[in-house]
Amino acid sequence: MTLINPEFAEELERFGVSTALDCFNCGTCTAICPLIYEHFPRKMIRYIQVGARELLLENDNELWRCLHCGLCTYTCPREADPGELILGLKRFVVANWRRS
Amino acid sequence: MYNPKIIIDLIADNVRKTRNPFGIPKSMLNRWWRDTPVRPEGDTLLFTGLMYQFTPYIEKTTHYLERYEDTKLADYMGYSKYIPKFIAGTGLALMTSGKEKKNADSVLRNIVNILAKSNVEFFYKPELDDYSGILLYDLGDQEGFVRHAKFVAAKLKRAGVRKLITVDPHTTYALKVLFPKYTGESFDVKTYFELVSFKSENGGSRVTLHDPCFYGRYLEMSDVPRKVLANLGIECVEVINSEHATNCCGGPAESVSPKLSKEVLDRRVEELQSTGEPIIALCPICLGNLKKSGAQVEDLSTLIARSM
Ligand code: SF4
Ligand code: SF4
Repeated sequence: MTLINPEFAEELERFGVSTALDCFNCGTCTAICPLIYEHFPRKMIRYIQVGARELLLENDNELWRCLHCGLCTYTCPREADPGELILGLKRFVVANWRRS
Repeated sequence: MYNPKIIIDLIADNVRKTRNPFGIPKSMLNRWWRDTPVRPEGDTLLFTGLMYQFTPYIEKTTHYLERYEDTKLADYMGYSKYIPKFIAGTGLALMTSGKEKKNADSVLRNIVNILAKSNVEFFYKPELDDYSGILLYDLGDQEGFVRHAKFVAAKLKRAGVRKLITVDPHTTYALKVLFPKYTGESFDVKTYFELVSFKSENGGSRVTLHDPCFYGRYLEMSDVPRKVLANLGIECVEVINSEHATNCCGGPAESVSPKLSKEVLDRRVEELQSTGEPIIALCPICLGNLKKSGAQVEDLSTLIARSM
């Protein structure tokens, strides 16, 4: 069962993740991302929006595919800063590893 | 793909112990200045951030990581843990070829000559030239990055240094944007090619620039190298994805997945080669990565130095 955590977006603010709710899931970032990998990075942002904390942690290794190249941030029509969201998620996951 | 946690823990541990991600003592890593005439005191410090000095080691580690990525051997009995650890420290320094080290050093010597020809007054003190910590930042080890960056910033402050000349986009971004934000210390940072003041007609060639993500997008300074080259009579033949819209060379994924890095690299090289002109890199990571593809590529400083 996938657990939904409504406080997830709030928990992430500490790690510099604050623009996830600006994303309207258009997929421009995924279309331009040089990784050409599934629905990256849009899928990860969706996890934040729906509070899928566990699901994100199950797939956390995927975050390190991101090159931090900034192309998604440059093209996002909503200024949702997807590249920085991915970096913030990496920070969250690293802090989580260190805690456990 | 290697387990990012293992890679991050290893890099963070190396930075803590040796102040660089490869765990190589700085005395072995940073030797280019020994037979280069540079002033040891002054107002503006040449701050290489050690990135060019890392390139031969990056090449060596990626070679091994590539060989074992997703193989049975890597999975077997935690080998994936063992391999990254094996390729670090003085062992790595000894495995790395002298020729590659010399190539990396020649970029820095060229930069010194370019600054001298531009009548820029600067000094170099190896004790003050440190790694910026940028890889920790990119990998999401915020705590490790901030700790290291504060150490570097405090050392510069103690030495009374406020003005810096940088040579690569990653260190430049760290010092210009991240240090003020996370260490509270601000420096007056210029990249060496912003200081080129001479003109020449010697160039007469055509090249294609591969803009690094940090110069092209994050720092918005793609126009500067183009002006420098125009002043040297060198024409830039552009690809569609350049300047703000540049495409990454894949270098940043090297430590976690050489396979993925190569996929991204191959696509970018094909694009850059479509102009038929030699490629110019402005970043040690791009340079090393593009070279690996077999493309005809050289560093911007090499081209400028040749056209002086
Ligand atoms: S982050 Fe921006 S580009 Fe990506 S799906 Fe959301 S709105 Fe679209
Ligand atoms: S920053 Fe990451 S997610 Fe965004 S385009 Fe680059 S590789 Fe893709």
